[in-house]
Amino acid sequence: MRAIRAIAANTFREAIRDRILYLFVGFALAMVVSTKLFGMLTVGDEAKIVKDIGLASIQFFSMLIAVMMSMLLVSREVDSRTVFIILAKPVRRWQFLVGKYLGLVAIVTANLVFITVVLAVMVLAYTGQWDPMLFFAAAMTLLEMLVLAAFAILFAVLTRPILGSLMTLAVFVVGHTSAELWLLTRQLPGSLTRGLVAVVYHLIPNLERFNFRTEVVHGLPVAPAAVGWAVIYAVAFAAVALVLADLRFRSRDLR
Amino acid sequence: MSDIQLSVQGLWKTFHPGLFEADVEALKGLSFEVGRGEIFGFLGPNGAGKTTTIKAICEIIRPDAGTINVCGHPHTAPAAKRKLGFMSESPYVYRHLSGREYLRFCGELLGLPPAGMEARIAGVLDEVGMASRADRGLGTYSKGMQQRIGLAQALLGDPELLILDEPMSGLDPLGRRDVRDIILARAAAGATVFFSSHIIPDVEALCDRVAIVVDGRLRAIGTVDELLARDPVSFELTFTGAALDGLATPLEASHERSDATWVRVATPHRDALLAELGGRGARLLSLNPVRISLEDLLVEHSAEPTT
Ligand SMILES: Nc1ncnc2c1ncn2[C@@H]1O[C@H](COP(=O)(O)OP(=O)(O)OP(=O)(O)O)[C@@H](O)[C@H]1O
Ligand SMILES: [Mg+2]
Repeated sequence: MRAIRAIAANTFREAIRDRILYLFVGFALAMVVSTKLFGMLTVGDEAKIVKDIGLASIQFFSMLIAVMMSMLLVSREVDSRTVFIILAKPVRRWQFLVGKYLGLVAIVTANLVFITVVLAVMVLAYTGQWDPMLFFAAAMTLLEMLVLAAFAILFAVLTRPILGSLMTLAVFVVGHTSAELWLLTRQLPGSLTRGLVAVVYHLIPNLERFNFRTEVVHGLPVAPAAVGWAVIYAVAFAAVALVLADLRFRSRDLR
Repeated sequence: MSDIQLSVQGLWKTFHPGLFEADVEALKGLSFEVGRGEIFGFLGPNGAGKTTTIKAICEIIRPDAGTINVCGHPHTAPAAKRKLGFMSESPYVYRHLSGREYLRFCGELLGLPPAGMEARIAGVLDEVGMASRADRGLGTYSKGMQQRIGLAQALLGDPELLILDEPMSGLDPLGRRDVRDIILARAAAGATVFFSSHIIPDVEALCDRVAIVVDGRLRAIGTVDELLARDPVSFELTFTGAALDGLATPLEASHERSDATWVRVATPHRDALLAELGGRGARLLSLNPVRISLEDLLVEHSAEPTT
């Protein structure tokens, strides 16, 4: 397990020494800070709008970081052949993938915590109230990122980085819309569209399960069961994606 | 050899580069063994399959058929990997790490005890002559410096079997001598060294045995002396008292010096030439066999048409 930890730590270090990460973090920060502007421009409860847009930005930039950094760091390791030295050492291929994954999760978590603290401090400044539920919403976003990072790793070992990034982005978009589509088409009589949507709905994780923004923004109660299921759902999908990634990577020749 | 440290048996590998490209048969039933404590040279022309063999040994690629044993274990076993030190053809390093950080990372992967780690890293850095530059970023290293760090990484686990893919290429003369010294020192300390190389003098100076691989097949294997101890391919002779003109025997080369005539003749024609010269009343001054060099042998094998 030291090997996994070492690979995760190395991945984390590679990311925090890379300019690209700061670009994303910078954009995320700018977005969160400028929510104040939206709050002023829009009619309605200013604090709620700040929270809502803030959490949405956090989710969007976490997604960008998870997708882009996974793709970048996995494919860079394979393409620049630094992975040769790892595989010639007593390290299994799945350990390499898990190490990469955990490193990426650490990067996403660090970023998520940082931006959420900034948002919470801003909300505190506007309302005089510390809202711990913001961290709950961020934790649910982290669950979503666990799934997306695993898919990113799967696509990184399946295909080229650009295509892989697009495919992971597609999972993000479809994952947030497939449930609605499913609801809409379920009423239709049996048709090709309905069948297709059913397949997509069951293959692609329903990422709306991790969306507790409404509850957090409006101070509504959160159903513990929904949270429990979200955790199980995230772990299951991430595990499946990683196992598939391992199945592909295990038999792959590196060049 | 009773104690085999590396055994490769019946290795086959075909690459399938892509939809519109022909398959490449890189290895065609390659087999050889390397005994404990040997320094073993792996020779062959470009594209012969040397790197492919080494990648198979290190589990970077999977052979289609064949078995590989490393230090008595199947090559995929962690026990085998712990006894193996591998240096790749070109140095592939992380640009975000310093030399020392890189070696620390490798030490973790090897599972070295944390207590002695720093001392061990300092030891190998010293061995490859990089101690003073260890804290610079690998991205700022020259190719030769990266190669030295690549070698340091291979030595870090105190391996029983060192596998080096062209360890001397890209190094300055001093660096080449350093690598030679390291190989000799590690072998003297009991390690087995297997390396591929195109630098014949290094191979001749270092290797107990060599294998020549061409087109994915083993062409020759043995000590350098064994491989070269064949009948001489030609003879050089010098004589006086006879002209070259009109000799019936075909000559490979000739030169009329002021004091004598020098010719080179292929072995099968030697006796005919001697008889002919004798008939002309020539006085033989010298007759020397020309032995093949390792380089000649390699060129000869590489040039042979293959089926
Ligand atoms: N990933 C790959 N895909 C397709 N063909 C490959 C691949 N790797 C190697 N080959 C082919 O396999 C053959 C053997 O290559 P290899 O790299 O083992 O040669 P080598 O003996 O190391 O040569 P060199 O002296 O140039 O390093 C070559 O024909 C090469 O083109
Ligand atoms: Mg090679």
